[in-house]
Amino acid sequence: MSAWRAAGLNYINYSQIAARLVRQALKADLRVEATKRDEANVRFTQWKDGKPASIKRHCSLNGSILN
Amino acid sequence: MFCHGKQLLALALPAQPTSQRGMATLKSISIRLKSVKNIQKITQSMKMVSAAKYNRAERDLKQARPLGQGAKVFYEQAEIAPSESEPKKLMIAVTSDRGLCGAVHTGVSRNIRDALLANPAELENTKIVCIGEKSRAILSRLFGKNILFVASEVGRKPPTFNDAAKIAIEVMNSGYSYGSGKIIFNRFKSVVSYKIDNLPLYDKSAVTTAPKLSVYDSLDDEVIQSYLEFSLASMLFYSMKEGACSEQSSRMTAMDNASKNAGEMIDKLTLTFNRTRQAVITRELIEIISGAAALQ
Repeated sequence: MSAWRAAGLNYINYSQIAARLVRQALKADLRVEATKRDEANVRFTQWKDGKPASIKRHCSLNGSILN
Repeated sequence: MFCHGKQLLALALPAQPTSQRGMATLKSISIRLKSVKNIQKITQSMKMVSAAKYNRAERDLKQARPLGQGAKVFYEQAEIAPSESEPKKLMIAVTSDRGLCGAVHTGVSRNIRDALLANPAELENTKIVCIGEKSRAILSRLFGKNILFVASEVGRKPPTFNDAAKIAIEVMNSGYSYGSGKIIFNRFKSVVSYKIDNLPLYDKSAVTTAPKLSVYDSLDDEVIQSYLEFSLASMLFYSMKEGACSEQSSRMTAMDNASKNAGEMIDKLTLTFNRTRQAVITRELIEIISGAAALQ
């Protein structure tokens, strides 16, 4: 088992972290364009029994869940 | 006193147009004409905006295509079939928050509705994930109990891989284990056409027991697990890109049609406006001439 999975990450988290590091390592002129791709705007509403549950969960960029 | 006068004025105002009917219709036509002209301006500029967005979406889509196609071919080559023991299903409807784009959203929602209504057993075992408020609005009425979660704020900006990754993580964290599933989206074909398509989803046990998995080399449990996680994100990304592209192209044609219709309406209204004006002038002339003739 690889170390990152043992630490509780899944492959998406792992590759996102890797992608972010690569973006940060780019030269300044390319980095501007690349950081635009680093955004995420999606918001989630959980549904229960046919109604939206009141708590909205937001994921931070590295995928850990904040309430 | 002043207040009273105002009330009187308000009472008198609607009575005024009826006393001079010709003039009133002339005025109401010109108001109507003005509003239709404004609507045409709005639809025209919306068309321009979506044309620009469409160009970008199509460029992005070309780059995203290999991601989705690759994931799809993997399933096809290994001949993966959903396991019988796990009847639970997941359906992901890829739409967006924005309307005014033809039948893009209703098509996806209708596809899910038909699939679920055709088979009551599936209705019990299927959960729906709505990407975009539009599919939620349509599906929540019929299948409110089946909705797992809704992802909103989609469609304002072009979808990024991080968006797709967040949705994929949310699917995994939802605690719902499914045997198989589908991502339902609009596949972009050309500026004027799109088609509803789906990408398959499977759980790990279905992949490991697939008959032809041996065509792939050096697969262990962990590689498959990682690949499934990644392919969920990449297929979502691909379908969101396809969806965004078809949405923009469809909005472009929808707005084009709307502008054209508004143009037709403007032509008709201008014609009636001119005719009414001419009628009013003629009537006034007749009144003056006949009045003058009566005096002689």
